[in-house]
Amino acid sequence: MRGALYNGVEGIIGECGGGLSCATCHCYVDAAWTARVGGPSSPAERELLDGAAAEVRPESRLSCQIAMTAHLDGLVVRLPEKQYD
Amino acid sequence: MAIDAANPVPPNFTRCAGADQIPPHVPPELVRSVGLTTGAEFLAAPHAYKAGLHHTQPPIFYDVSPHGNAWQLLRHDDALFALRHPEIFTNEGATPFPRDPDDYFYFIPIEIDPPHHRKYRNIVDPLFSPHGVMKLEAQIRERAKGLLDDFAGDGACEFTTAYGRPLPVCVFLDIMGLPQDMRDTFVEWAVDLLHAPDRETMARAMASITAYLKSAIAEKTAHPDEGVVSRIAHAAPDGVPLSEKEIFGFVCFLFIAGLDTVFATMNNIWLWLAQNPARVEEIIARPGDINAIVEELLRAWSVTFSGRMLAQDYTMRGVEMKAGDRITCVLPACNFDPEAFPNPTAIDFDRPRKTILAFTVGAHSCMGAHLARLEIKVGLEEWLKRIPRFAVRPGAHIEYRPGGVVGPEFVPLMW
Repeated sequence: MRGALYNGVEGIIGECGGGLSCATCHCYVDAAWTARVGGPSSPAERELLDGAAAEVRPESRLSCQIAMTAHLDGLVVRLPEKQYD
Repeated sequence: MAIDAANPVPPNFTRCAGADQIPPHVPPELVRSVGLTTGAEFLAAPHAYKAGLHHTQPPIFYDVSPHGNAWQLLRHDDALFALRHPEIFTNEGATPFPRDPDDYFYFIPIEIDPPHHRKYRNIVDPLFSPHGVMKLEAQIRERAKGLLDDFAGDGACEFTTAYGRPLPVCVFLDIMGLPQDMRDTFVEWAVDLLHAPDRETMARAMASITAYLKSAIAEKTAHPDEGVVSRIAHAAPDGVPLSEKEIFGFVCFLFIAGLDTVFATMNNIWLWLAQNPARVEEIIARPGDINAIVEELLRAWSVTFSGRMLAQDYTMRGVEMKAGDRITCVLPACNFDPEAFPNPTAIDFDRPRKTILAFTVGAHSCMGAHLARLEIKVGLEEWLKRIPRFAVRPGAHIEYRPGGVVGPEFVPLMW
């Protein structure tokens, strides 16, 4: 999320700055990566995703909760149509 | 039109204040004068009063006051919408804080609309990210312990002067790269600037702050260090160094935004804890849930408001607002919206996670939110280790301050 925010990637708002409190960094993890990235990392992430503006799918994550490591080099995510109404 | 942050000019927007300055498009049935931050009901129990507004007032009404007339938004979803649509609800000219017209500056980044505000946020956001503030945790813990050493053995303290104010100031000075011996002076300036009963004291405080911050900026310009003042003074987004006015406006805004709000939040929370010993026991028994506990305390005891100005005509919930009108998102009321938070006045550490408005939302979402959460968490953990049972001193009368940062004046405690 921070990588997107500081580099002006549109479609990820991340307005709370990665604090697990806003659900405006919603993304869909590409099918080839879902096993490696995993699902929501906490109950709070799952609860916040429930309030996401766009459709929530099994591969939905809040991108602020995906810690980028060498293990995820090449990760493909897609962004929802909107992060809020 | 976007303002030029490097060449600030005082805004010339019209400001309506008082009953004789209600624009003709405002329907009379929506006009109120409820004393949102000054009235007797507010001062008696401000958070209960804000929660009660959902039952006593329409979701959007036009409040008339000698301090300025504005639409008031009470609903959680309305505030989210307004704060997330800066093309309709702009920040330009929406910060009423007075400045010297001959030496004008903008508060940065709060007065800069997106996307330009991002240039400034990128300078400091990495330091204030959850990851960035984690590095400060050990230092905050030491500051908290140091303060507690001074009074934990006394059996009593006046919380605001012993802990609620000095802790955030110690942390702020560390982060900014300023000396700790400025602690008590900073507390005094912040209190005078934002709460003095007369304008002379406020102006004097502002002049002292201005002189001090300008000399600190000059010093950090000459001798760079790791602190935030130095980082701002040496920042060059896209290769262009910030101007003197931008540097000063940024540093000055951090002072105003980063001190009083945290004082007030802590003072509110500790007052509630002192009155609810069973809940303190619950907190002590659930150390693994401290983050959820802090989030719920922040929901219930939020302290401030978000003002914006209409950049275009807009109709919300059937209410027609016009370009130039001002709005206030009544954040402490939004956090008690029963549609967003069922049974809103109950403090429930097991609520499902949802966006709270303690730190507002949108592009201007508080940059210090993660730091504030951490200060409250660490401040609470260290306090409870030393003072697990405490109460308000018998006979103490709790008085709230009028104004835009909601909190008790003094909180005398004993244990």
